[in-house]
Amino acid sequence: MTTTTAPHTAPGHEEAAQATPSLARRTLQVFTGNKLALTGVVLLALLLAFSYLGPLLYDTEQTHTDLSQANLSPGTEGHLLGTTDLGYDMVGRLMVAGQTSLEIGLAAGLLATLFGTVYGAVSGYFGGWVDAAMMRITDAALAIPAMFLLVVVAAIITPSKGVLILIIAAVAWLSPARLVRGEALSLRNREYVQAMRMMGGGGARAVFKHIVPNAIGTVIVNCTFQIADAILYVSYLAFLGLSIPPPSADWGSMLSAGITYTQNGYWWLIFPPGIAIVLVVAAFNFIGDGLRDAFEVRLRK
Amino acid sequence: MDDMEEPGGAPAPLLRIDDLRVDIASRDRTVHALDGVSLELAPGEALGIVGESGCGKTMTALSVLGLLPPGGAVTGGRILFDGQDLAAASAPTLQDVRGNTVGMVFQDPLTSLNPTMTIGAQVAEPLLLHRAGIGRKEAWARAEEMLRLVGMPQPAERMKSYPHQLSGGMRQRVAIAMALVCEPKLLIADEPTTALDVTTQHQILELIDTLRETLGMAMILVTHDLGVIANRVDRVAVMYAGKVAEQSDVRGLFARPRHRYTEALFAALPERAADRGTELHTIPGLPPSLTVRPTGCRFAPRCSFATEKCREREPELALSTEPAPEPGAESGARPLAEALAGAAEEDTERPGAGHRFACFHPVPYGDAPAEQVVTPPPAAATEPGDVLLELDALVKEFPLTGGPFARRRGTVSAVGGVSLSVRRGETYGLVGESGCGKTTLGRIVAGLEEPTGGTVRFDGRDLSGLSRAERRAHRRRIQLMFQDSTAAMDPRMRVGEILREPLVIQGVGTRADQERLTAELLDAVGLPRGAVHRYPHEFSGGQRQRLGLARALTLSPDLVVADEPVSALDVSVQAQILNLMRELQRERGLTYLFISHDLAVIRHLADTVGVMYLGRLVESGPAEQVYAHPLHPYTRGLLDTVNVPDPAAASGGDREPLRGETPSAAKPPSGCRFRTRCPFAEEVCASTEPPVSTPNGAGHQVACHFPLAATRLASAV
Amino acid sequence: MTGFLVKRFLQALVVLFLVSIIVFVLLHMLPGGPARAILGPKGTPQQIEQFNHQQGYDRSLPTQYFMYLKRLFTGDLGDSYRLNSPVFELLKQRLPKTLLLTVLSTALAVVIAVPLGLLQAVRRGKASDYALTGLAFLLYATPVFFLGLIMIILFAQVFPVFPAEAPQGESVGELLGDFTGLVLPVVTMAFGIVAMFSRYMRSAVLDNLTEEYVRTAMAKGQSSRRILVRHVLRNALIPLATLLGLYLPTLFSGALVVESMFNYPGMGLLFWNAAQGSDFPVLLGVTLVVGIATVLGSLLTDILYAVLDPRIRSVA
Repeated sequence: MTTTTAPHTAPGHEEAAQATPSLARRTLQVFTGNKLALTGVVLLALLLAFSYLGPLLYDTEQTHTDLSQANLSPGTEGHLLGTTDLGYDMVGRLMVAGQTSLEIGLAAGLLATLFGTVYGAVSGYFGGWVDAAMMRITDAALAIPAMFLLVVVAAIITPSKGVLILIIAAVAWLSPARLVRGEALSLRNREYVQAMRMMGGGGARAVFKHIVPNAIGTVIVNCTFQIADAILYVSYLAFLGLSIPPPSADWGSMLSAGITYTQNGYWWLIFPPGIAIVLVVAAFNFIGDGLRDAFEVRLRK
Repeated sequence: MDDMEEPGGAPAPLLRIDDLRVDIASRDRTVHALDGVSLELAPGEALGIVGESGCGKTMTALSVLGLLPPGGAVTGGRILFDGQDLAAASAPTLQDVRGNTVGMVFQDPLTSLNPTMTIGAQVAEPLLLHRAGIGRKEAWARAEEMLRLVGMPQPAERMKSYPHQLSGGMRQRVAIAMALVCEPKLLIADEPTTALDVTTQHQILELIDTLRETLGMAMILVTHDLGVIANRVDRVAVMYAGKVAEQSDVRGLFARPRHRYTEALFAALPERAADRGTELHTIPGLPPSLTVRPTGCRFAPRCSFATEKCREREPELALSTEPAPEPGAESGARPLAEALAGAAEEDTERPGAGHRFACFHPVPYGDAPAEQVVTPPPAAATEPGDVLLELDALVKEFPLTGGPFARRRGTVSAVGGVSLSVRRGETYGLVGESGCGKTTLGRIVAGLEEPTGGTVRFDGRDLSGLSRAERRAHRRRIQLMFQDSTAAMDPRMRVGEILREPLVIQGVGTRADQERLTAELLDAVGLPRGAVHRYPHEFSGGQRQRLGLARALTLSPDLVVADEPVSALDVSVQAQILNLMRELQRERGLTYLFISHDLAVIRHLADTVGVMYLGRLVESGPAEQVYAHPLHPYTRGLLDTVNVPDPAAASGGDREPLRGETPSAAKPPSGCRFRTRCPFAEEVCASTEPPVSTPNGAGHQVACHFPLAATRLASAV
Repeated sequence: MTGFLVKRFLQALVVLFLVSIIVFVLLHMLPGGPARAILGPKGTPQQIEQFNHQQGYDRSLPTQYFMYLKRLFTGDLGDSYRLNSPVFELLKQRLPKTLLLTVLSTALAVVIAVPLGLLQAVRRGKASDYALTGLAFLLYATPVFFLGLIMIILFAQVFPVFPAEAPQGESVGELLGDFTGLVLPVVTMAFGIVAMFSRYMRSAVLDNLTEEYVRTAMAKGQSSRRILVRHVLRNALIPLATLLGLYLPTLFSGALVVESMFNYPGMGLLFWNAAQGSDFPVLLGVTLVVGIATVLGSLLTDILYAVLDPRIRSVA
């Protein structure tokens, strides 16, 4: 070792690459560091437990009405939060309604994300005329405000759980479609996709091996927001007079039923379902925001 | 005020940095970016700070004005400017200094100007902030005057322009005007020309030189480019891992570096390679990460002279006039500064005066560094074989679209009729400035773009005549190595999968075969086999470029198109990659089409050189001949423009650097495309495309009406 | 810029055409078809058949669509069979009022959201940022009608400072004359938007703060306040124009809910009442007009953006 130089390049002498924690672990790290996201997870867990485990511990009559027990105020014996205008126990009603709201929200949000993602990926990957045509269709669908479209559709169709899911998904898919299309447009020009084409790889490989895995973060983040929005839509539909007929209930329909009694001072009919909606929608938003941070941190590296 | 009482009545320095320490804290770690940096700058003096990325040169510059990035903080030391400690100064005090007595120019003129404010408003802004009596009108008048001073054509009109309407070079002129409009005593320029082309770079550096003289200001020039530093400053500080390793007047440093790091850095330069055929000297490994303070000399892990002492104790920066004694641990910052001031005063005449370094085993006096080291074995000369790749009148035009339904509004002539041939086993170096079409040409050869006209023949076959299946099989034989391996590798794939992907696509071998081949390739490029389980972002820039090379080689191609493969790397890492490429070429009989803007790299590596300008190949021939006797005025101008990392060479000779800017490829000049900047242009150049001739003998072609005569050249070189 | 504008304008035309198709399809999805929609539930089968023949509803769909378009261009949107008035007349009366509500609440929302987002960005990661971010999400998560309800209970019942019902004037001027009545609807609607806008402002300001031109501005010796106001705010505000365009459908949706909550005599209320009474000509007419308003509105905001941003203004 008397020369200043290594005769050849120096394999292995370069600093050992730093091992980085796995994606899941890193996500968890960022997530636990984000207090809002953590709040969201805890909130959601509590609401899920309330809606699904609640009825096991707190059994109430939620099928048959009992008008003699209508509009009892909170604190009445056996009814912690009073009763509704049809005599259902409020707490038990909130549990049952929560199941409906959560299920419709989750199903519609997932459906919208799935369809929107495929639509957007196709539009963005093919580009050109296909893209222009597909995007004008989304523009037109977006131009008619969702609420107006929903009301017209509601006037035509009688709702059931499945119908509500379909209707909400039908207006909600537009935003993931535009988002994923944008991602696909930029991803297909990335150098690693070019490198793959140079090796002789085709479109299917580009989409499934490179574009989709790299867009998945955006899709997951957007999906949580979609679920939140879908739950909001359920409540708006109820407000506009479109909800699954009793004895079924969701938080939205409970809230809009309560509006009728604003003048009577029956606050327990209004605030519990209203707050439940706010909490669940906020929880999903907190989680989505935390996830976005997590994915961005990883990609920034 | 204590800093005013310098011994011997030496003039008070304009800026004195004393034992500066800076930490950069991020989410999960703290980097000790600067760890005791001391520098001094006299009024009117130009100091260069040079070093590889991460050495702390930019942090030093930024900390002077308190512009450290988020998480950055000065944790110790002083920054005395005009008797004021800026490190401890309040926000209003700092604001009063910034843009007023100290101006700053940043690297990227594209992003460092506000996109939604007019040039005039941005240049006039410092005046409105710092000159109480000046109204808007006068500020604008002065701003316009400043724009004229920095060589902005039609300054009155430009005042109303927005940054995106100007070229990169012009934007950097605006940035300089902004920094100088208040006539500061000190200009800090942080890599001011790194984002610019060679010719623009030269013009900007000339401009800074002139302005510095006119305004009599001092300057700190921060750069990684030893060529830039050699020609533009009085003194140089070489930084390594958050410390100053060596400090000297510029001639002394380049003539005899004393620190082993400086010596190795110079040796790694392709310009300093003894011969075109030799391997470059390299520095093994990477700089330390600085999250923990290293014990001992920071360069010791990479230094072949390192001893136990180096690993245990940290050498102090000391004067070289006497043989370096064992530096006592008690020597603090203050005696050091005094010593410097004294030495600078007395010894300005002697070369090597004030030459200080922090090394226990310095390069001995009287030994020129290049001879000291053992010259590595020359790379085996490759016998040029038959023609492998032949381009004939290749044309590539991109439509310039805009308006409804992507209406075609013109074309950009990226490649305007290029013919060249590459022989089997050789390295063909394609050189030119950005926008000359070299990258597009490489992408056509690699099959990423379809040519608009002309033919590509590979191994005797016209590629446009290939069937789909043949084309797919052909893909194996030409591979591309990207400039930015980070972008060229899917961040969500592990290295193993990335390296196997070409084999999977081409259906080569079983999975076990593929994994064996991957392992062999990792061996060949000098990476551990365990790398297959990691993600690309876990590797350093140099390691990723090794991976990029490995992937390019998986399909055993005949030709590798390498597009600026080392331009994002530091000098020492660049040398490693260049050596590796050469070694693999020898072992595997590869042919390279090596594309670069760096004349020195091309000169070192290429057998044949092609020079491109605005879509045309203006000159081509054997590398030595083209560099020694350029025939095209553009080649000559380019060679004269390049900053040679040798202060002695730079000052001599009648160099004729290129003037002006490259015209737009959407409206290339008629006839010879270079004529608008050519000192010898005549009418015929505008009317007729120049013919290709070979006045220096076959093999050395030039496309020029008036090729440079051999006699002219003899006196010039 | 002309190229950009022409392109954008043609896009808007295509979208308008598609909107008319969507409404046309909805018309045909109605139980009993357009005849039932126009004659109302009282129409006999004979009347329906006669009507269908008269109006050409027994011809091919493309012909029908063509006729539909022709009627649209003459302003014929049918008649409301509950209000005994042409839909066109009703819309002419109601649309300005809805625009008033939308413009007032958007302006209020911007005035609140911009400084709020700026504050959050400057205080990034501090307690106040977390609190405001949490609050913004809670606001966003609140259905507008729940928000309106809270407003009514708080400010009309518990502390009766504002009336719970909007003014019922004939014209925009009359509405403005009764300003206290406008407070609750405007504030309710604005709160729904504030959450989105402040969220945008926060991230836009944060993005801009990391830009290098901010460092250049610092190097000139500007105070952080001046940099924020002179440099960052301008760059963050320009894209807000496009954001407004994107949120137009959401704004109109919000107006629908707010109008029906506060009995505000705008298009949304007209629409809501029509839905309660299955007044299909009104439903479809309003849907079409809102669609057109959205398309034109977002065209307008895009033009505004192009005018504001010099990079688009001067290139092509």
